[in-house]
Amino acid sequence: SSHEHKLNFKKSKELCLSYIQDAMLQKQWKRAAEFLTFYVESLEKDYSREQIGPSEMIWRIGTEILCHHSHSSMREFNCFIEQMKTLGVKRYLKVCLEHVFHLLCHGQIDEAYQNLSLAESWRFGEQTAIQDKEMKLIQAYRGLLDYYSWSKQKSILLEHGLDGFADLSVEQEMHSSFRKAAVNLKEIIKIPGVWDLFVKCYVDLLEFYGDHDEARQVLNEYAYNSKFPANPNAHVYLYQLLKRHGESKKSLVSALKILHDIVPSHELMIDFNTMLQKSKKSKKRRLGLEVIFAVLDYAGWKESVKAWSCLARQVKQIVISEKHLDWIKQEWNCRKDWWPAFHFSRYLAKRNWLENKSLSYEKALVAGILQGKDCKYFKYVSHQGCKAQVKRFRMLKKFVNRHSPVYLRTS
Amino acid sequence: QAQPAFVPRRGGTGEVWKPAEVAAVPALPPGEGCWIPSPAPEDIVYHNSRYRKLQPGKAGATLDFAKQLGHFFLDHPEDAFGSMGRLLHKNFYLGNSKLKRPARNSTIRMTALMEDIDRLEARRGCHRQHLASRVRWFSHLCRDWLFEVPLGLLADCLHEELMLQWSDLLFDDSLTGGALAWLPPRDRGSCTGCLVYPGGQAMNHLYFQGMVLEKLPHAWGSPAQFELSGRIRQVAAAQVDGEDFIGVRSDYHCGVWRVPGRTGATPAPLQVIHTDVPASCLTVSPHLPGELAVCTQSGTVYLWNIETGLQQLRHDTQTMFFRDHSPWRWSDFTAHPRVLSCADRTGLQCLDARDPKKCHFDLFKVGEEASCQQGERVVLPMYLGRAHPSQYLVTTQFSVYVLDERLPLVPVLKWAHMMKAPPLFAQMMPGNGGRSHKVLLGASSTQELLLLQYQGERGCWGSQSACQLAGAPQKLHSIAGCLQHLPTQLPHCHHMFQQRLGAPAAGLAATLQEDGEHESMLVFQLSEAGDVFCQRLTHEAVRAPAPLEEAEVPQESCASPQPAPEVPSPAAALRYRRWLRTFFRGYEEPPQHTWTPSLSQKRLFTCRDLEGPAGPSDLQRQVRQWLHKVMREGGRIQRWEPLSLQPPALPQPPEPVGGPDPLSTRLTAAWSGDWEQWWEERSSFSVAQRQRVLRERRRRQKRARGRCSLSASFTSSLTYQSELSELSDAGPPLSPDHPPVLSQEGAAPASSPLPSSHPASPAPDEALLSSQSLRCRGIPKERRKTLRDYLSVWIEGPSEPPELPGS
Repeated sequence: SSHEHKLNFKKSKELCLSYIQDAMLQKQWKRAAEFLTFYVESLEKDYSREQIGPSEMIWRIGTEILCHHSHSSMREFNCFIEQMKTLGVKRYLKVCLEHVFHLLCHGQIDEAYQNLSLAESWRFGEQTAIQDKEMKLIQAYRGLLDYYSWSKQKSILLEHGLDGFADLSVEQEMHSSFRKAAVNLKEIIKIPGVWDLFVKCYVDLLEFYGDHDEARQVLNEYAYNSKFPANPNAHVYLYQLLKRHGESKKSLVSALKILHDIVPSHELMIDFNTMLQKSKKSKKRRLGLEVIFAVLDYAGWKESVKAWSCLARQVKQIVISEKHLDWIKQEWNCRKDWWPAFHFSRYLAKRNWLENKSLSYEKALVAGILQGKDCKYFKYVSHQGCKAQVKRFRMLKKFVNRHSPVYLRTS
Repeated sequence: QAQPAFVPRRGGTGEVWKPAEVAAVPALPPGEGCWIPSPAPEDIVYHNSRYRKLQPGKAGATLDFAKQLGHFFLDHPEDAFGSMGRLLHKNFYLGNSKLKRPARNSTIRMTALMEDIDRLEARRGCHRQHLASRVRWFSHLCRDWLFEVPLGLLADCLHEELMLQWSDLLFDDSLTGGALAWLPPRDRGSCTGCLVYPGGQAMNHLYFQGMVLEKLPHAWGSPAQFELSGRIRQVAAAQVDGEDFIGVRSDYHCGVWRVPGRTGATPAPLQVIHTDVPASCLTVSPHLPGELAVCTQSGTVYLWNIETGLQQLRHDTQTMFFRDHSPWRWSDFTAHPRVLSCADRTGLQCLDARDPKKCHFDLFKVGEEASCQQGERVVLPMYLGRAHPSQYLVTTQFSVYVLDERLPLVPVLKWAHMMKAPPLFAQMMPGNGGRSHKVLLGASSTQELLLLQYQGERGCWGSQSACQLAGAPQKLHSIAGCLQHLPTQLPHCHHMFQQRLGAPAAGLAATLQEDGEHESMLVFQLSEAGDVFCQRLTHEAVRAPAPLEEAEVPQESCASPQPAPEVPSPAAALRYRRWLRTFFRGYEEPPQHTWTPSLSQKRLFTCRDLEGPAGPSDLQRQVRQWLHKVMREGGRIQRWEPLSLQPPALPQPPEPVGGPDPLSTRLTAAWSGDWEQWWEERSSFSVAQRQRVLRERRRRQKRARGRCSLSASFTSSLTYQSELSELSDAGPPLSPDHPPVLSQEGAAPASSPLPSSHPASPAPDEALLSSQSLRCRGIPKERRKTLRDYLSVWIEGPSEPPELPGS
């Protein structure tokens, strides 16, 4: 019966698909390609109501095979994609975008640009929300390519500009690239999302033409709009912009403070700490201590000499001045139940001593002050250091011994 | 500003890893004891709808509730009907014959009911149910009082259990994380590590087996063994400060072991916790020694420190982002040792243990941000700390996501894995120095194993390169794949291996091993049957000068991988043979406990049982000849008298052989008035004597069975006779020595089905049928009566066939 026929057809379709999958997962691209030619028949009677229909399957599998198959060429790939574009109207923009990515990865920028322009002019019936977004993406990528050509022309001009020779046509071209790029880039960053690349380019364009306010506004919007995902990069870009424009320390600190709240383990926190340590205000120095302690909470910083030396310097400063010992006490209180096992175990003392002497020096200083001179880490490192006749370790031992009452006050 | 190079998010070139063998090779001898496979769909689902319902996407399979309830009644009759059965057993008759008039009033013939039920079964789906009036009448009558446990309650419990089994069958998440762990060697150069896995018949023994990683890894020394009180679901391990901490999760207990840093050190159990609700997750902190995260199915997350005890971080029976019925929870560590991730099927959140109520943020949400599909659910989250301190792996049944906790909710990498079953196990091997990280994904029921490579940011907070998938994903061998490389087996053995090797996977462990220039990856896989298999993949450096074999196939060598070796290497073949040998040895040993023999009670004695051996007997032949002869002659049969059986079944005056027959003695005793004394004697008949007589009777029965079989061709006349005999009173019994001439079937009704109806007939032989002696023989109570009826036929012998109407 026809029902049975349909069922059998469906079954063999599924079987064929599983063969293709099997071949692809074993990197047998040739075999997979052969099966795919059979699978094409499934287009004949496509009754499926599944999320991913056979035509999309063929597009995806075919692309994957052509990417890996040794005998495939760019020409074949383009040919295949052109066919795929006509296979499904709803998918047209998606296929175009993927095609453009492939061209870009192979360095064919001009072809990619042509394809983008072509896709942009494509119209089919009423646009759905998804198509709208895809169209925005296509425009944004075209804007990106415009930006790259702009920056290329810019560098040409700058080179020649130094010679005192300005080519008017190049300059005109550059400005038109700027206009095209700016329009499209501006559009995409209005939609909530992670658009780091586009935002950076757009800000670069604005900055070049001296529109600093607009640039800052764009970045502020990107960083603080609650509809956008919490993106630490947005704050980093904002900080960098402020720094480039020589903004006041205060605004820099406030920008980094927010970054500290979002990502306490960010690499900029080291800069932040140095900046705060230099400050005259005790409140800021207090924040600095907080920041560096927070950085060292993270496993990724465990072996960073830089971070440890920042902490060691600040702790040493506080101990010598004997002011604000309560800061250390407060920070240490919420960490004393796990830092000793996390940072100052005997095993780590041995390993740090073997692998990185300066790390073990900084850590031993902090450990000696925080935990007292009987702490395992300090004892081991200072013992080894004195044995090896290294001067600074002897100094370290003396320093900690002299200030050991501090430990009693902090604990 | 220089134009940046565009890099593909996926599909770039990855490292080439090639399997060294054609299939997975046993790493350890087979798990002990015979493994009992968990129920298959056909055991639970109503069989007619099986094929339709098992298709993905179609929910609501029909559970075969009636069958399971029936199984319960058969397997636990004492629990189901114990007391009522004892009270009423006289009123149920399990024999096949018709009941006699007086008995009929108080006795139900169960076989008739069974027939009705059978007919009902055959007509399932038919709406004309009035045909089963007798069954309905019976159920109507007994439903309320017959069952020991109220039927409604029992049915509820059973249904609940069935639903549980069925959902387990669809997706069993208790194995999440896997029960296999690899403890890497202490020093770089050494190649002895330790494999931690469950074993034993109930998977409740924990083994720490030293392994030597040679070409084929093999066990080193005997394993350290611990017996636990529950089935081990998960084994998790992490190395902190040079020591290994191993967390072991069973349903209601979680334990932690420590293996000290020295090579060959014995593992030491540290602490055990007991949970009221089954635990669903146990992970070991990679940051602090002796710290673990525990989740229970009640939605509670604990941070467990060996020194300070348990700290509850969250208790919420509801899921986080939207409603999902699954009680599964998971927790893992993050880059910050005080911050734990906490997952349910809808997403992940990070909680700060210092202030879990206030400090938390969403790390992953099934939804738009990650462009999830409809129905997508979190299956397994894993902290990728060894590759990058802030990265996280989240698998769903459709995709794999890599997340960065600094930029939560938006995945930095997404890839649709297209595995047939959701990946319950994952392993990560970090690639140092700019090399790709390797991630292994494993599914349980289908044993799928997938190797992915990805490249993330290099080093710590290093370059700006984005996360990208390197190379095409690769499929690794499954355990079941080695079936075709085993030596040829007999079909039933083949089937046995098919079942054994196809057992769902229960764990996954992997390690990278460097041996000079060669680098290889060892992947261990544990099955639910307790077998550990392994496979080795060798890394091929980029376009190294081709080895000799490859030189012979120059064209394809760069296109698709060289054809993999077709047969297992001699070493692997030896492994297979050894494994088989051990397996068979384990199988041939008599099982520790004998299975209770299962008997169908559907019809205790079928017609065929009661008939003699098939084929015409001498008697039949004679009768047939006689019939032919008479037909030829055109005569008629006046009497059913076989030619050689002179005199036939004429009433034979009972010959007093060793004394008067029991009936006569009894009657005499009753007549003379000392009936009581007779009864005393009768009941105190010595046991030994009874046994002797019984033995003799059995011998006689055998003899009789051999001789008497006037069966098949005479059935019609027999039924006719039986009908007659039901009407007539029982004739004087034949002496037991006389072989009954007719099939017992016809004669059976001659004796009353109720021995109690004539308690005054205790012949010495009958005494053997007392319930006491039957109990001694291990015959269940409810069958004793039937057996008694059955045997009484033999004791009393058939009644004399009444005269044929023809005569």
